[in-house]
Amino acid sequence: MATEVIVPKVDMVMETATFVEWLKPEGAPVEKGEPLFVIMTDKASIEIESPASGILAGVRAKPNDVLPVTAVIAYILEPGEAIPTQRDVHQAVSRLPASEGKPGDVAREAGTPAADSGKVRATPVARRLAAELGVDLASVPGSGPRGRVHRDDVLLFARQREDTRPSVTQKPSAPDVPLPQARQREVIPLAGARKIIAARMVHSAFTAPHITLSLSVDMTEVVRLRERVSESIERRTGKPLSFTAILARVVAAVLPDHPYLNASLKDDAIILWGDVHLGIATSVEDYLIVPVIREAQRKNLAQIAAELGDLLERGRARRLTPNEMTGSTFTISNLGMFGIESFTAIINPPESAILAVGKIMDTVVSLKGAVVVRPMMNLTLSADHRVVDGATGARFLADLKAALENPYVLV
Amino acid sequence: MSGVSGREITYLEAVREALIQEMRRDPEVFLLGEDIGVYGGAFGVTRGLLEEFGPERVRETPISEAAIAGAAIGAALMGMRPVMEIMFMDFITIAMNQLVNQAAKMRFMFGGKASIPLVCRTPAGSGTGAAAQHCQSLEAWFVHVPGLKVVAPSTPYDAKGLLISSIRDNNPVIFVEHKLLYRDRGPVPEDSYTIPLGLADVKREGRDLTIVAYSVMVQRALEAAERLAREGIEAEVIDPRTLRPLDRETIVRSVCKTSRVLVVQEAPAACGVGAELAATVVESEAFDYLDAPVRRLTGRDVPIPYNRTLERAAVPQVEDIVAAGRQLAREGR
Repeated sequence: MATEVIVPKVDMVMETATFVEWLKPEGAPVEKGEPLFVIMTDKASIEIESPASGILAGVRAKPNDVLPVTAVIAYILEPGEAIPTQRDVHQAVSRLPASEGKPGDVAREAGTPAADSGKVRATPVARRLAAELGVDLASVPGSGPRGRVHRDDVLLFARQREDTRPSVTQKPSAPDVPLPQARQREVIPLAGARKIIAARMVHSAFTAPHITLSLSVDMTEVVRLRERVSESIERRTGKPLSFTAILARVVAAVLPDHPYLNASLKDDAIILWGDVHLGIATSVEDYLIVPVIREAQRKNLAQIAAELGDLLERGRARRLTPNEMTGSTFTISNLGMFGIESFTAIINPPESAILAVGKIMDTVVSLKGAVVVRPMMNLTLSADHRVVDGATGARFLADLKAALENPYVLV
Repeated sequence: MSGVSGREITYLEAVREALIQEMRRDPEVFLLGEDIGVYGGAFGVTRGLLEEFGPERVRETPISEAAIAGAAIGAALMGMRPVMEIMFMDFITIAMNQLVNQAAKMRFMFGGKASIPLVCRTPAGSGTGAAAQHCQSLEAWFVHVPGLKVVAPSTPYDAKGLLISSIRDNNPVIFVEHKLLYRDRGPVPEDSYTIPLGLADVKREGRDLTIVAYSVMVQRALEAAERLAREGIEAEVIDPRTLRPLDRETIVRSVCKTSRVLVVQEAPAACGVGAELAATVVESEAFDYLDAPVRRLTGRDVPIPYNRTLERAAVPQVEDIVAAGRQLAREGR
């Protein structure tokens, strides 16, 4: 029997997904469990496995289609089997403008019954509401039988329109600056993860008053520690021991003594978290993911190294689940590997602070009246001043520095 | 409504009580039908009435439904208030000419100078294993005829109040009882009271869908609504009580609120009362509030089978109403 390939709900609040690409061409044999296609949710790109073994057929989804959860986008057929007659054909919510297409070209997927007849199937109340709300019924995805548009579909569509109307790049107060008259190389839709990052960062930058505190840490002992234990940890865990892992271990150990740095401002209350869910900001190709080490304060260096290695590996392969990339209470962002000496980061909401980590550099410093060369590293803490005062942040940074300069206290 | 008490009696007893109270109140009221005297009627509704009112007012008739109806119409024309009984609704076919061509027409054809204050009581419906000729629900035929009123109560309380109103009405009324409801108990005031013909009753309030049902299907719809409530679906159950005249307003108001309507009847679908109910909704201002097609749940298109399993499968049961209600409530949600 033909198996429907649907857009899965991989996250509790997910309603639509942007289709990224097929990993198999139409007509190709596929095995159950084999990666079949990639979708992008608000949080991440995710590889979806084939629900059955057979021949991929009736492929409908195209890159940049925005599809409702459970939309049937293809079938897995047994040899000699025909594609079932189209029942409950789900339509793309909208087509994102492809880079080669005209921007803003929102097209309805062709070949659907609704498109064929030129009429939209909608209930009377959906029609009345659409007229009242100024919604074009043809662009509303219908959840009813054969794509029939119901009242709730119109309301949801109108609500999403409200949500996206004041888009993050076009604040009502932003001056209407004309674009330069230049050749356009490519137009990338602001969508999915990129759009979420944009919205969160704007929100954080303009609602949380950031204070930044900076100091240098002598990494001599950390470097030594890494040299001594790296081999044994890698042998045990199969993952290399990175400076980020050591830093994560030290931050997780120090944070519980500084609860306001591991906190969230929610409405009129500051929630101090009892666990350190440590987010590690990571760049994957052209976007940012923040895999989370949960209850990091309970984990030893080997456990953290193993978990971080696994998260990063799967993150680069885009195989993390949304749950593994949300819910952090504090974030570390390390750009040292790119040669960045120091930088300030924007807080990852709803956290109250983020630690920006620079490159470890051999630096000439004075020590007990002598001039010596030491591996120094810059740490810059950005904190939400609504939650964290300067001295509070400074005490945390000082403790962190002390622990990094004498990491053996943690062993 | 007066004389409220906690007293509970059966539907059958409520019908009998209405007859007794009206016969005591008005000497023009009399009964006629097959086996209604000594035997007390095929279901026992008129048991004891011969003893109280005598053979003049509780008249046993030959087995001729046409004669029963014809005699009743004649008596009604002359100012009496006959309550005739057709033993099974199936047999009303034989009285059709009298009821449809005579009783329904006379008031109009005599320019209002004649009236036919006649009640035709008759038990309808399946569920007793009485097979195809004793189980039909033929109410739609009469709803179709201008000049007749059609009443189909679902509870003991409604049965008594509606029967008293029917007897006092100056038009011919087809009063459809249901065999399976006769043993149902419910609170019924001892005093006489009336329920206006043409007034529906909201038997249960709900926000997610409207179930319009009458006669025995009201009880099944209420049980289905309880089960749906456990799934988080709140069904409103409307009992029109009178199929003609129909209280369109109550139904329309409910559908405007819930946006979804399920119509349930025991009779087969084609040209049934449910079709009229569905059309009423679609033609009204409720149209603009509909969020799903109007759904009918009806008896199947077969004569009622004798086999009890097939008989049960031939008409909507509680689980069928639950399934249809669930599907309707979830469509597009």
